[in-house]
Amino acid sequence: MEQPDVARQTMEVDIACVGFGPAMGGFLTTLSRHLTDAEGRPLLESRAMPGMPPQVLCYERADDIGFGVSGVVTRARGIRRSFPELDPTAIPMACEVRQEKTVYLLDPIGASRRGAGLKLVDRLLRPFAGKRMALELPYTPPFLRKHGGLILSIGQFNQWVGNQLMASGTVQIWPGTPVQQALVEDHRVVGVRLADQGVEKDGSPTGAFLPGMDVRAALTVVGDGPVGPVGRQLDEVFGMPEGHQRRHWAVGMKMVVELPESCELAEGTVIHTFGFPEPEIFGFLYAMPGRLASLGIFVPSFLDSPVRTTYRYLQHWMRHPYLWRWLEGGTMRSWGAKTLAEYGKQGEPYLVGDGYARIGEGSGSTNVLTGSGVDEAWTTGAQLAEGVVELWRSGQPFTRENLAAAYERRRRESWVEAEGRVAEHARDGFTRGFLAGLVGMGLTALTGGRWHPKAKHRPLPSLEEFCRGRLTAGEISRLRRRAESEGLPLHDLVMDALGWPKVEHDGRLLVSHQDALLLGGKVQAPPGFADHVAFLYPNLCERCSPQLCVEVCSGQAISPNPSGGAPLFDREKCVHCGACLWNCPTETPEGGPNLAFRAGAGGLHSAEN
Amino acid sequence: MSNGYHIVVCGSLVPDPLQTLEPVMAPDGPGLKNEAMLPSVLDPWAAHALYEAAHLAKRVPDSKVWLASLGPKPKLQQLMMAVAQKAPFEFVAIDGSASGFADSFETAQALAKAIQSIPGLDRDRMLLFGGCSSASRDAGTTLSMVGALLGVEDQFLAVDEIEPDADGGFRVKERVEGAQYLVSRCAGAPAVLAWATGNLPEPPNNPQIGMANMRGILPALAKAPSVGALRGGLRFESVETPSQRRETRVVKDAGVEEIARELAEWIRG
Amino acid sequence: MAKTLILIPLEADGTVGKAARDLLASALAADPGADVGVFGKGAKQAADVVPASASRVLVAGGDGLASPTAANDARACEALVRASGSQLVLAPQHSRTARCLPLVAVRTGGRIDTRVAGISLGAETKVRRWYYRQRMQAAFTREERPWFLLLESGALPAAEASAGFSGAVEEVSWEPCSRTQALGTEAAIAGEQTIRPDADLLLVAGAGWTKKQSDGQTHVPEAEELIRAFLRATGASLGSSKSLVDQKGEGAVISFLTHMNQVGQTGSSPRHPKGLATCCHGEEPHVVGWRFIGERRAINLDPNCGWAQGKADVLYVADAFAVLRRLNELLG
Repeated sequence: MEQPDVARQTMEVDIACVGFGPAMGGFLTTLSRHLTDAEGRPLLESRAMPGMPPQVLCYERADDIGFGVSGVVTRARGIRRSFPELDPTAIPMACEVRQEKTVYLLDPIGASRRGAGLKLVDRLLRPFAGKRMALELPYTPPFLRKHGGLILSIGQFNQWVGNQLMASGTVQIWPGTPVQQALVEDHRVVGVRLADQGVEKDGSPTGAFLPGMDVRAALTVVGDGPVGPVGRQLDEVFGMPEGHQRRHWAVGMKMVVELPESCELAEGTVIHTFGFPEPEIFGFLYAMPGRLASLGIFVPSFLDSPVRTTYRYLQHWMRHPYLWRWLEGGTMRSWGAKTLAEYGKQGEPYLVGDGYARIGEGSGSTNVLTGSGVDEAWTTGAQLAEGVVELWRSGQPFTRENLAAAYERRRRESWVEAEGRVAEHARDGFTRGFLAGLVGMGLTALTGGRWHPKAKHRPLPSLEEFCRGRLTAGEISRLRRRAESEGLPLHDLVMDALGWPKVEHDGRLLVSHQDALLLGGKVQAPPGFADHVAFLYPNLCERCSPQLCVEVCSGQAISPNPSGGAPLFDREKCVHCGACLWNCPTETPEGGPNLAFRAGAGGLHSAEN
Repeated sequence: MSNGYHIVVCGSLVPDPLQTLEPVMAPDGPGLKNEAMLPSVLDPWAAHALYEAAHLAKRVPDSKVWLASLGPKPKLQQLMMAVAQKAPFEFVAIDGSASGFADSFETAQALAKAIQSIPGLDRDRMLLFGGCSSASRDAGTTLSMVGALLGVEDQFLAVDEIEPDADGGFRVKERVEGAQYLVSRCAGAPAVLAWATGNLPEPPNNPQIGMANMRGILPALAKAPSVGALRGGLRFESVETPSQRRETRVVKDAGVEEIARELAEWIRG
Repeated sequence: MAKTLILIPLEADGTVGKAARDLLASALAADPGADVGVFGKGAKQAADVVPASASRVLVAGGDGLASPTAANDARACEALVRASGSQLVLAPQHSRTARCLPLVAVRTGGRIDTRVAGISLGAETKVRRWYYRQRMQAAFTREERPWFLLLESGALPAAEASAGFSGAVEEVSWEPCSRTQALGTEAAIAGEQTIRPDADLLLVAGAGWTKKQSDGQTHVPEAEELIRAFLRATGASLGSSKSLVDQKGEGAVISFLTHMNQVGQTGSSPRHPKGLATCCHGEEPHVVGWRFIGERRAINLDPNCGWAQGKADVLYVADAFAVLRRLNELLG
């Protein structure tokens, strides 16, 4: 609930930045090098505060700059361009990629949903799969290769970058400060409004009310990720370029695991998996220094389950014999989840407009063919910084045209664009099935994107359709009744019924979802902010079944409401992954999902992700 | 002459309380596993002291607040991103160990030295604030020793309230045994107030305060003196996490009546 | 063994508190030739409690110590330490010693360690204490002397000793000089929701009491009454989780809870034979706040509450409202 009529403090700066991730790291790192000379003397002059160096402020929602989620393998072309002398040992948990494997995992349980074609393939492959029930591809496809690149913890990388930026004294980064919205006047972005503080969960003021400040800026840089509220607001206000749409998403859920002492996985090993627990679910395992591994799975939007979930699949994936031989006896150190903008270039918004520019994942830079997003995001940030410096030096304003010439042009001429174009439709085949998707990806890569599969977007099937041939309508109806009476999500019950075994907890690595949240993610919600998830029309939620927001919620923060209507939201469990937003199957009369995902504070408190 | 207070808040960083902490024994003494990677926060008691200092400075005209922090420089810098929007202060940085295993006297000496060299600090008007304990060493002695080294005898421990009077003195409430407050009146500064939690909520992040603080923070970090590991004459033999695990009997399907009866018996027994 | 002084503070009523008496007995049993120092108004009379095995009994008294102030307590203690010449000073962990002895340590060129959980006296004195909010314990010694140690109860093996010191009680002079005047004490929390350090049971109220219950509504007034009725029936001490105390300004709150009630994190780690946690969801009440609770039980709706599992002896997966409602009837 926004407070429209309150007096707000206003601050004038030169550049206001939203979200501190790899893209903003690239932007601020590149920019900061042009703001002062080696002795700290300003090279450019602030327009907001004449006589001072440019005032550049970055606001980050999370409580610290190190609370990012991803473990990453990257070719690091853009990052190395910014840091030519980069020594990975300077960044905790980072190392060079030494070997890569791509592995097809067969289903050792028999519960995975596999079509007739895939079952045939499995039967043919089974004799070669051995007791590990897996086939290592003889080589990793060139488009996936990261040899010579880096394995990184994004939390630690962000911290490393942020500390250098702060030490430079040229820019300020403020974590724990969500941005509520962009300030738009006459089709021009003129800055940002920070989130109100001292409010109840519904946004109404308490005695300690501090209205969010208006930070006015000549340029607003938006890098708040795939589900960031400012980016989505700009999409709404300015629309999307013709033909661009955001259909491909995924939830990435991961852990950092301390491997058992006996584990022989060599540092720098990168493993990509596919085929299990469901064929559409891809997995990754990166062996880091210090006997740590960053591992996880991606549950994509093209997994057409109306009860799709991630945590339980993650556990089954870890228990696959190919992986479990390394993981057994390990300990979870960290856990988290995020949304991935798998739409890539298909969902690219307007990159620039009057007073603003967009960088990073939310700007469609993620490449789903190469499975790479961090380096692309970093590079788009660096490109924007180069453009901004060019405009500043020549005294030109940050208009749409100028930003297009200075930033967008750089991006269009770069490898990010070239490779993004190739990848643009690489995943479309998965909308027709798993094998069609694999073939589509391969042919897209082979033809450099000249040929690509055609998407066939279908609505999500009903639970009955999804389980056809495996569960009867009566069985499903019993599961529904049980879920309702016990106030549970459906996914666990459905997976049990489909033959997925119960995961036995070992208290270290295989732990309950809530333990992962508390012990691994260390999730926290500071008081004084409004709830960032809200259900717009509770009566529409009433008719929604299964409520996919409940099923998919990475933190069990959204739970069934025993009195019906909109589900319940518990901010203290939310990891801000945003999966509820793009999974909401219900459209409001105005269009768009029946769920608001707003600026919010708190979330993960682990920096080892 | 001004009657405002010169409030120096001593507060260092501690690991974010949600982190899993594991001790490790190194040749030069104990530490925490992956200490450099652990996210930090301003020690929660010191944070309360800072909020109280800011509140007091607002009430008593011509007062000023300094925040003196001893910790590894990069960590202090990161800490400031989280703290600097909370309350206006001038930063005094000391580059050294913020480990719970550092010696409290050595820490006090380093802080006292840094405070002595704060330009413009009027020690006759000084109120030395800090936490009554810390989430790292949890000794509750450092601030008192800083006061002793600076010759301040009037000291208060586990303070929840300060109420200035018109003539420069103030009343203080300290927590003592048995859920009681000891109420005292002090003739005025200089004094040491080691805070319990106080009664103020955590202030919201105020970007303007952050902008203003930040101008002094980077210069303070740049000139932070280095004081090293601060081990003193401590010789650690061992450090361990005692097993905390109990065999928990989980009673899932019992009725309210059964549970209530079992509990009543247990409470009476 | 280095010469030891056992330093005993007086309570506001001029008596020696239980923890101090226990320390006196156990420390003299461990180190029979130790000196004893007593400070507080009426210290000479209070010194009657000193057992026979003490080597010397030194007292610092006078009106300046009638109400405790750091400055005067420190001066009195400094005089006692100097008069004894001891290299090791043992004192109970008490608001009075905790406040003044760091000052004395600095003035006598010594060092101080507090909250000592275990100590072995001998050729080399070694102590154990907790770090990082009771998450880890370290054993250490140190070179500097005099070494002041504030001991938690139980740091030394318990011993019995009756009064009987028959030697001369030596009065030590000191110069009062305090700009602070102690005005008296007042109850920080009144009513049944108070903190009762001597209670057999600690009730820990967690944030779940103010959350929406199974009917989708909050029931704070009922929660307050259930908690109060339980405290009336049992005489238990009331503790609370940080998240519940911090909810001020966040809508539904338990009106009578303050930071004084808080256990864990910035709260206390109280000592009680039994503890019952209700609606707690989080590490602090279970790990830090429960460190010194003997038998622990928890009521929580979430069977997966990872914090209660492994920390409590029994976890009841149940609605605390319903259980307390019935429990209060049974106990009433």
